[in-house]
Amino acid sequence: MLEDLPVDVGLIYEGERIRKANMYVDLAGPKSKGAELLVVAPKDKVQDGKVEVIGSDIQDMEEGKAYSFGIFVEVAGEKLEEDLEGVFERRIHDFANYVQTFMHLNSRDVIWCRVSKEGAKKGLSLKHVGKALIHLFKSEFDAIEAMQVTFYTDEKEVDRFISEARKVYQKRDSRIRGLKDEDVDVFYGCVLCQSFAPKHVCTITPSRTSSCGSITWFEGRAAVKVDPKGPIFEVHKGEEIDPERGEFSGINEMTYKRSNGEVERVFLHSLFDYPHTSCGCFEAIAFYIPEVDGIGVVHRDFHGVTPFGIPFSTMAGQVGGGVQSEGFQGIAVEYLRSPKFLKGDGGWDRVVWLPRDLKDRIGEDVPEHLREKIATEEDATDLETLKAFLKEKEHPVVERWAKEVEEVPAEGEKPAVTVPELEMPVQGIPIAGGGISITFKNAKIYAEKIIITRKEK
Amino acid sequence: MIIAVSGKGGTGKTMFASLLVRTLSEMNGKDILAIDADPDENLSGALGLEFDKTIGDLREELLKERDKMPPGVSWRDLLEYKTMGAIVEGDKFDLLVMGRPEGQGCYCAVNHVLREIIDTFAKNYDYVVIDTEAGLEHLSRRTTQDVDVMLVITDPSKRGVSTAKRIKDLSRHLEINFKDLFVIVNRVSQDKLSKIEEYSRELGLEILGSIPEDEKVLEYDFDGKPLIELPENSKALNAVREIVGRLLMRYEA
Repeated sequence: MLEDLPVDVGLIYEGERIRKANMYVDLAGPKSKGAELLVVAPKDKVQDGKVEVIGSDIQDMEEGKAYSFGIFVEVAGEKLEEDLEGVFERRIHDFANYVQTFMHLNSRDVIWCRVSKEGAKKGLSLKHVGKALIHLFKSEFDAIEAMQVTFYTDEKEVDRFISEARKVYQKRDSRIRGLKDEDVDVFYGCVLCQSFAPKHVCTITPSRTSSCGSITWFEGRAAVKVDPKGPIFEVHKGEEIDPERGEFSGINEMTYKRSNGEVERVFLHSLFDYPHTSCGCFEAIAFYIPEVDGIGVVHRDFHGVTPFGIPFSTMAGQVGGGVQSEGFQGIAVEYLRSPKFLKGDGGWDRVVWLPRDLKDRIGEDVPEHLREKIATEEDATDLETLKAFLKEKEHPVVERWAKEVEEVPAEGEKPAVTVPELEMPVQGIPIAGGGISITFKNAKIYAEKIIITRKEK
Repeated sequence: MIIAVSGKGGTGKTMFASLLVRTLSEMNGKDILAIDADPDENLSGALGLEFDKTIGDLREELLKERDKMPPGVSWRDLLEYKTMGAIVEGDKFDLLVMGRPEGQGCYCAVNHVLREIIDTFAKNYDYVVIDTEAGLEHLSRRTTQDVDVMLVITDPSKRGVSTAKRIKDLSRHLEINFKDLFVIVNRVSQDKLSKIEEYSRELGLEILGSIPEDEKVLEYDFDGKPLIELPENSKALNAVREIVGRLLMRYEA
């Protein structure tokens, strides 16, 4: 079928990039515009094998110029579902690159294609590219029974096509945002940070972006495709042991193995008992504040101090390095938008403090009933002011204090701070300062009151 | 073939890299990519090309945009697109400027992906010339990997030659792959060369060639003229041509 093509088609051309000095024309790209779209269509609307070019074809184009460009792929098949559109569409990039003398970069409405002089000389036409796409798609996916391709190079048509395509992307994105951990069997693990945090293993799920914020579940899938044996790898999630706190047998096994036996269990969505380890390059830290039985989050860009009296950098130094620090976890900013965000600890209802900048960044994803109740550095700078603020705003955590007070035997003496079964996150708290860090392992500390004062310099 | 050029600051590393690019581009029909991996970003000037964005700039841009990216889109693919856009596409060769290696935030994942992207791009060229950082940091940070030949430029001093030795040792320690390492002595007169050669042999280093002092280089440098445009009779240019000839004989014969 591809024998009639003037150029070769194959995997070996995938990495082909065409230099400007060897270029015949640019299609879309930074100097022009364009888009690509793949949709599942009813069978009677798709004429199998048809390739149409609306506007001029390569051979009619002027050498050295950039043209607007659209690639519209319609597929039909009994088993095809709309959900597959995004996955299939991403393959346009791979398959178009298999065509020798044709380059394709990126996706959606930021694509960049280039035809080399050699290709033009050999008589390459967009019809050939379309034929190659149809052949490659149909041999890779049996479910595609019919496929047709339309290329647009006429500027007006491309404009119309881009705006149509954008509507579809939007629809698709809102669907993807709804992808849940329950919908997939495979999570991803990442050990990119082990060069400086040897015990750290990141678990990436649809609801948990890597701590550095770089690898989403989709990105993990893409990385594994590029390099299946690389630092990012597939993990079968196994049995779900605790849906609230996010414990999975497959993740425990993988973490144990990849941390050289240092970390046995991981709760993906909790700060307590077996929290996810923290690398060193997390975007933010979620930290438990026992005094108010709530959780604060501070991000890397915030240079002020947390209600603990220490800035991000100090806390990061204590928490990072690939250990499980109870009460602390390095996280991605994106994780704050996750429906599973610290679900095991009560999620957003437990969050009491965020820097203003971070609160604005998360914006509408902060649950509405909490927006005014979560303090920022403008409302609270230490534990006392924080406590007062939460009480005044009737933050949900305040109810937890009340419960505790009721449970305290009424001997007339009011405790100064009420903390429910305080499992003090002692690991890594800067007790002495001045470069000394004291680490307690398997220690439980009971204290009626702990006073930490800042030493005057 | 990937050739990395390194050496301490002020040894003429960038001059050598630019003349190496020129010599390679004078051979017909070869695709050449020059990578300026020195944060001081001098190679573009020596090559007479202007650049718009560095890889460092793209990285910063990406970290800002990523937050707002739609979930169905991969930043890896976008970064590839941006990298293609950052390549300065000349008539005879292309240039990619790396810029500052670090900034705020985490770059492990982004740097990892960038390396993969640049590796893919590099495979499309017959020759890749990397002007690396002056010190040894590029080795300890592992930005220069899988290089065919490492050329260390040095002035005719004991200290300069020892630097080459340190680079060689460090690379072995860090398991960075290059097939060979050669020393090139710059601004040296014939009578001094034998002494340097002797010292190099003691250290187990091979000198691939030497470049004499060239008034023209100083003149071009001072006037801010691209070194790649040195006249045909420039002593430095002709010395580099000879060295490149010797290098290619070894690898392509």
